[in-house]
Amino acid sequence: MSDINTDSEILPLELVDKAIGSQVRILLINDREFEGTLVGFDEFVNVILSDVTETGPEGTIHRDEMLLTGTTIAMFVTV
Amino acid sequence: MSTARVDPSEFLSRITGEKVVVKMRDGTECHGALQSIDGFMNVALENTVGKYKGETTKTYGDVFIRGTNGKYSLLSSILLERLLTL
Repeated sequence: MSDINTDSEILPLELVDKAIGSQVRILLINDREFEGTLVGFDEFVNVILSDVTETGPEGTIHRDEMLLTGTTIAMFVTV
Repeated sequence: MSTARVDPSEFLSRITGEKVVVKMRDGTECHGALQSIDGFMNVALENTVGKYKGETTKTYGDVFIRGTNGKYSLLSSILLERLLTL
């Protein structure tokens, strides 16, 4: 994933790659968000998170480690 | 920036056999032991409990859950959580 760098442009997946190991917030397409440490991801942007706080309509849940499928992800931001 | 990076495929092979929660797009959860998972994220669970909004709805012996098929079409978008405490 790190050999896609050119001088002028930053590709979306580069941004995600740079965020590995840091705290991120992921907003889904359905009123739900996850904040935690980004452990890894693949080409579909399925994401592995650790030490996660899930926030949804029913409240907040803590999760130790999880896989989030890429199809539900709307936005990805480092915090 | 490769501090103990774990890709989803590695993660899935590591958690095979453990207790997991698979959450469907409609909010239904299946709690069970992960038997196997393939490249489409089809999932086989064992000794499964179906839950909706925290209430147990049904129990199953073995469950097959259809994963994503290619990029977009999916019946059950799954979200896997490793359960360490339950």
